Amino acid sequence: MIILKADGIKKYFSSPGSGFFSRSGAPVKAVDGVDISIEAGESLGLVGESGCGKSTLARVLLRLIKPTTGKVFLDGIDFFALKGRDLRKTRRRIQMIFQDPYSSLNPRMTVGNTIAEGIKVHKIVKRKDVRTRVHSLLDKVGLPPAAESRYPHEFSGGQRQRVGIARALAVEPDIIIADEPVAALDLSVQAKIINLLRDLKEDMGLTYLFVSHDLGVIKHVSDKVAVMYLGRIVELSDKESLFSDPLHPYTRGLLASIPSLERGGKKLKAAIRGEVPSPVNLPAGCSFCPRCPEATERCKLEFPPFVTINGGRKVRCWLYS
Amino acid sequence: MIERKNRENKNSLPCSGGLWSEGWARFRKRHLAVAGAVIVLLLYLVAIFAPVLTPYDPVAHGDIPGDRYLRPSIEHPFGTDKFGRDVMTRMFYGSQVSLSIGFLAVALSIFLGSLVGAVSGYAGGIVDAVIMRVVDALMAIPRLFLLLTCIALFSRSILLIIILLGATGWMSAARLVRGQVLSIKKKDYIVAAEGLGVSGKGIIFKHLIPNTLTVIIVSATLRIGGIILTEAALSFLGLGVPPPTPSWGMMVFQGRDVLLNAWWVSTFPGLAIVMTVIGFNLLGDGLRDAFDPMHFT
Amino acid sequence: MLLKVNNLETIFRMARGEVRAVDRISFNIKSGKTLGLVGESGCGKSVTALSIMRLVPDPPGKIAGGSIELEGNDILKLPEKEMRKIRGNEISIVFQEPLSSLNPVFSCGEQVREAIVLHQHLGRKDSKTEAIEMLRRVRIPDPETRYKNYPHQMSGGMRQRVMIAMALSCQPKLLIADEPTTALDVSVQAQIIELLQDLREELGMSILLITHDLAVIAQMADTVVVMYAGKIVEKAPAGKLFSDPSHPYTQGLLASMPGYSIPGKSLPVIPGSVPDPVKLPPGCRFSDRCGKRIEKCFNEEPPLFNLGDSHFSRCWLHNKEEN
Repeated sequence: MIILKADGIKKYFSSPGSGFFSRSGAPVKAVDGVDISIEAGESLGLVGESGCGKSTLARVLLRLIKPTTGKVFLDGIDFFALKGRDLRKTRRRIQMIFQDPYSSLNPRMTVGNTIAEGIKVHKIVKRKDVRTRVHSLLDKVGLPPAAESRYPHEFSGGQRQRVGIARALAVEPDIIIADEPVAALDLSVQAKIINLLRDLKEDMGLTYLFVSHDLGVIKHVSDKVAVMYLGRIVELSDKESLFSDPLHPYTRGLLASIPSLERGGKKLKAAIRGEVPSPVNLPAGCSFCPRCPEATERCKLEFPPFVTINGGRKVRCWLYS
Repeated sequence: MIERKNRENKNSLPCSGGLWSEGWARFRKRHLAVAGAVIVLLLYLVAIFAPVLTPYDPVAHGDIPGDRYLRPSIEHPFGTDKFGRDVMTRMFYGSQVSLSIGFLAVALSIFLGSLVGAVSGYAGGIVDAVIMRVVDALMAIPRLFLLLTCIALFSRSILLIIILLGATGWMSAARLVRGQVLSIKKKDYIVAAEGLGVSGKGIIFKHLIPNTLTVIIVSATLRIGGIILTEAALSFLGLGVPPPTPSWGMMVFQGRDVLLNAWWVSTFPGLAIVMTVIGFNLLGDGLRDAFDPMHFT
Repeated sequence: MLLKVNNLETIFRMARGEVRAVDRISFNIKSGKTLGLVGESGCGKSVTALSIMRLVPDPPGKIAGGSIELEGNDILKLPEKEMRKIRGNEISIVFQEPLSSLNPVFSCGEQVREAIVLHQHLGRKDSKTEAIEMLRRVRIPDPETRYKNYPHQMSGGMRQRVMIAMALSCQPKLLIADEPTTALDVSVQAQIIELLQDLREELGMSILLITHDLAVIAQMADTVVVMYAGKIVEKAPAGKLFSDPSHPYTQGLLASMPGYSIPGKSLPVIPGSVPDPVKLPPGCRFSDRCGKRIEKCFNEEPPLFNLGDSHFSRCWLHNKEEN
């Protein structure tokens, strides 16, 4: 059953104009036509480099920013059409975990109040039971009840991330959007948070959209992977096939760029040349073609469609059309 | 259930004080700031205990010619004025007026300013643009003329002066708070609160204003000195607190004719104004250094 | 031997007590080789770099003991004026965040030129030619045009290249790279790794690579030093360390890497967290988190045991005399 579905999401930001008085220049196409659907209980990994629009897409799915065009459906309900009480009730079902454990917690609020805020807003439990509920959430994320009265600055990065997770879980969501939840953490802490997220998923039957630039993390946590490049999904596949047989030249390049522990005396060769171009002036054809080793004349001129090939894998590349 | 291994150590929670106590530790290291705090504290103590500290009455005068313009002596450390009233006594009582005007007027302007600034900064867009243009327009009105006109229209009273000083001073506070809110509202915890469904009111009062509090307190402290100066200037022009209530500005005003013969009548209240303004500015600078948001993570 | 660090000890005097950020560490870097220094945040790896540059903020920090020999000369004994000549000329450093290390009001080319003028006596024209040559060396496309670009007009990868160009402008013998690729994307990271390796060969310099990323170390380093709570816990040739790690901490770190374990399964984790640097455990610093600890670990700090083939490990498990 599809729990979250995004249809033709486009999000253009107006870029500041060059002149002093001019209002805006060409729009920045942060997300440029994304369709995505997540099955209940599934974990979808969204991978891409900085500036590819993955964080913007995550925020659109959370209804934190309004897309230029496109719709988001939660269990078939149009998320952006909701208002007032219905909106608040639906909003509860989809929550976010942030990258930066420092800016994601209010420094002036105790951990207890941070977690309790959502419980009170949605009246999850009776007022007198809020504290018990906070304690059980702290326990769930592996923090002692004494953490309740402390302020965020007294915690380490990993502990803060646990608080952020408890805050998201407090309103009993169905879907968790995790935006680079372990990118700012040390390796040994990273592993603990990944395990915690995995255990919580099994324990509470959550659905994840896991946004990350780290293919290792994506490989570990997701069932399906979507690869994003310059505002578009270029490849969508189950995890096993994506890592064993990447289709899109960009995915192949990304996988080849990861430094590996087994180097066997070979030097790492940069697999993708150049850098991500600015999303203001995109090439007419495939947006990856200036960096693509397999680009042809056609790629420069025509925009490739998102085609489905063997066994439901999807790819946006002329090599497969 | 979540397995045991996913648990943080029971003892791994570090021990340290709150944000305030860390700031206080930084504050104590600054000698000038502590000096400012001591001056301000002394001023408030004098204002509160004025009736205990001096045997004389600040207002009543026997009008005995022999008591007029007495030089500073043991009985009258700062001398007497033209009605034979003890200058020190009037200064002590005058501090009540100056400090309460300073405190209340600033409180009023900060309250209005942070409310308008927070709403404007958080709402953004057209609301923000309109509010900020109104603020710009209000700031363009010369403050002293506005004060003089209002005082001329209504009868003079301490309450009127407090309201006028407060109502004409909130615009810069609004700008300051708006600037802070603009940077805070981009933080992830605000995004998280929005995602949780917290209302705009909740976000402003629970997240935005508490996080601008240190900046607000610092700027309030720095403002008090300025307000006290404005009040003194108004009184000096004869438009401040109505006599015979003593106020420092009024005392300087009254002594100006006899400055050469009875210098003490205006010199001591003048020094009091200078000390107070320096005290509040030192305290404000110290608080800013100690609680500057740059120190926070 | 280009650099010999011997029993280096750097302390920080904090309000809560004295922190031994770097606690008697020793390692050598051979000419033309790359040494990787790896560890989690707070382990002392960046302080080691600052100590070698003699840029430890004093107060609160202080180099309390040991020696750092650059080609036989102890640079800790040099007067500050001499040291300034060494920085940039003999030893250069590249930091993690290229945006905050570059001055926003000067063009990137001018900043490279300034670095050149500072250390070589060149005229305006020559130094500019040289700066453009440096930009070309770090593979910045179209260096003549890029010379005029300001830091904010460049991408993160390009800025890091400019930083490298500045650091290499005087052909130092040792380049310290402190998390040079951490802020970059995977595809750009691969480019910078490739660039650093090529430049090392072209210029014959040595690199001290500091990072928390084991895979980057595996890719670049000849020798690896693993640090934990201010101490070296393991030191080995790169191939050996990754194929046969011997310290429980190194083993734990490698096992917890998400890309290398069975997907979907729980990742093996190191329990607990890094000890408070003011209240270190009395015996082995890793003892309270270690799965293989024995009684002795709590009481006595293990020395670095020599396991042969230049492989050292600070763990009582390797104590052959008793076992």
